[in-house]
Amino acid sequence: MIEVQHLSKRYGRVTAVDDISFKVERGEILGFLGPNGAGKTTTMRVLTGYIPATEGKAIVAGFDIFEQPIEAKRRTGYLPETPPLYPDTSVIDYLGFVARIKGVPAGERRQRIRQVMERTRIDDVGGRLCGKLSKGYRQRVGLAQAILHNPDVLILDEPTAGLDPKQIIETRQLIKELAGSHTIILSTHILPEVSQTCQRVVIINKGKVVAVDTPDNLTARLRGSETMYVQVDANGADASSALGRVPGVTRVAEAERKDHCVSYEVDSERGRDVRRDLARTIVNSGWGLLELRPMRMSLEDIFLSLTTDETPAPATDGDAPAEAAPAESAES
Amino acid sequence: MSNILAIAQKELKGYFAGPIAYISIGFWALMYGWFFNALLQFFVRQSMQMNQFGMQGPQAMNVNQQLIRPLIQNVTVLILFVMPMVTMRTYSEEKRSGTIELLLTSPLTDFQIIVGKFIGAMALYLVMLAVTLIHIGVLFIYGNPEWKPIVTAYIGLILMGGCFISVGLFISSLTKNQIIAGMVTFGTFLMLWVITWIGSFSGPTIDKLTQYVSIIDHLDDFGKGVLDTTHIIYYLSFITFGLFLTAKAVDSERWRG
Repeated sequence: MIEVQHLSKRYGRVTAVDDISFKVERGEILGFLGPNGAGKTTTMRVLTGYIPATEGKAIVAGFDIFEQPIEAKRRTGYLPETPPLYPDTSVIDYLGFVARIKGVPAGERRQRIRQVMERTRIDDVGGRLCGKLSKGYRQRVGLAQAILHNPDVLILDEPTAGLDPKQIIETRQLIKELAGSHTIILSTHILPEVSQTCQRVVIINKGKVVAVDTPDNLTARLRGSETMYVQVDANGADASSALGRVPGVTRVAEAERKDHCVSYEVDSERGRDVRRDLARTIVNSGWGLLELRPMRMSLEDIFLSLTTDETPAPATDGDAPAEAAPAESAES
Repeated sequence: MSNILAIAQKELKGYFAGPIAYISIGFWALMYGWFFNALLQFFVRQSMQMNQFGMQGPQAMNVNQQLIRPLIQNVTVLILFVMPMVTMRTYSEEKRSGTIELLLTSPLTDFQIIVGKFIGAMALYLVMLAVTLIHIGVLFIYGNPEWKPIVTAYIGLILMGGCFISVGLFISSLTKNQIIAGMVTFGTFLMLWVITWIGSFSGPTIDKLTQYVSIIDHLDDFGKGVLDTTHIIYYLSFITFGLFLTAKAVDSERWRG
């Protein structure tokens, strides 16, 4: 549905996007992930025909965006970083104007606008001026504008920016609902958002694609070794040496100590499941096994290791953020 | 065509949604009324003097020649002041607020956007000109002017306004800042007006050249009731050139990002 081949964009001497290629299949949600200034917005602007590329090719909805821009634009909905609203226009009038220039047939406009307003939950602000809306509403009017002409391709630049948590969940839900009939590219720097909504992720840094994969594969691929999080009530005894003797275990590190309970991070050889042996060892020693779960590298860690020059070691020191993150991204 | 109309309507609504239409029409109506009043009083006094000297017949005062023609000429200066207010935001505001992204990513050609904006501004200008018909109407009630030179004068005014609008659009497309767009537009209009001033003492060639370039000088024949194709072609090609420059500016903006 979307095909980007060797796309580059240079502003004078500054290279914003450097030879990137990727493909998005019909009905897929692709997450565009990268730090600020990585080239996400530039890529999206090229794909929507807002700016031309310096080199390369982009095919959107079956049409080359440089050769047949009108046809491609007809099939694309775009939500820019700041929703493109006319402050002195009411929401209904604004959507009416957008419907006209996007080529929605005159007879269907009214109905289409009503549907979209219900869908994006802005039907209660139809008569208000766009300039007087809160950030959350503006963002949703922007989204309504993007889906108004029922485009094949949706390009959303940080669709959840500025929304409150409830609206974020609603918007993500809406994006997932849209995925079946639309192909979606969305950019974000909120990592859990990617693992929750996207089927595939493109990680981009300094204008270059660093990785393209599913969130799960990315997590798996970057895992150097299997790490278990084990919490033991050993009555004050030191369990680390006993755990270290379990076959397959390569390293045991104490993560946290609270009264009697001690948490360890246990590394093992790759592909070897040591959970049964660990559990048996602890129980046989007469200790209490409070928790035993695999630790995965979170998307945050992956992201950092891919986008920063010095690769941080997979979190084994047991500092708080590394501990808290896996629960969110790995279990979803 | 429907896309052009959509843009033009949006532009016109935009003028009336904010204060711009009201301020420019209000300012225009006030100043036009003032000019009209002053010239009318002058005209009345002159014709009374003429009557005292007992001059009648073919030498009697002519409303068209001695009132309407100078009025139209003075009004061009007014247009000079009002037009930058109308055109300064056309592109600048869209660039500043980011709505230009909506227009440029919609299935519209640059041509449709530019012509739509031009028609929108023209429509507001026509509303302004319509206000002046009240004054002309008063002359028809109390006097007996010829209608044909008035029609040609208005055709001239419409064409001249189109030139100002196309230049204003172009300047607005160069900047994000409305104030800069307004100031530069005003300066350019002023220059296009006063350019003839150096003509009279710079030799005949330059004199002719500056007269040809000056937008306002071409209006003179229209005021006399003459429809000369030279002037019509001058105005139409000026408008086309202004819109062409706008198209180039929008396009180059794209490449520069």
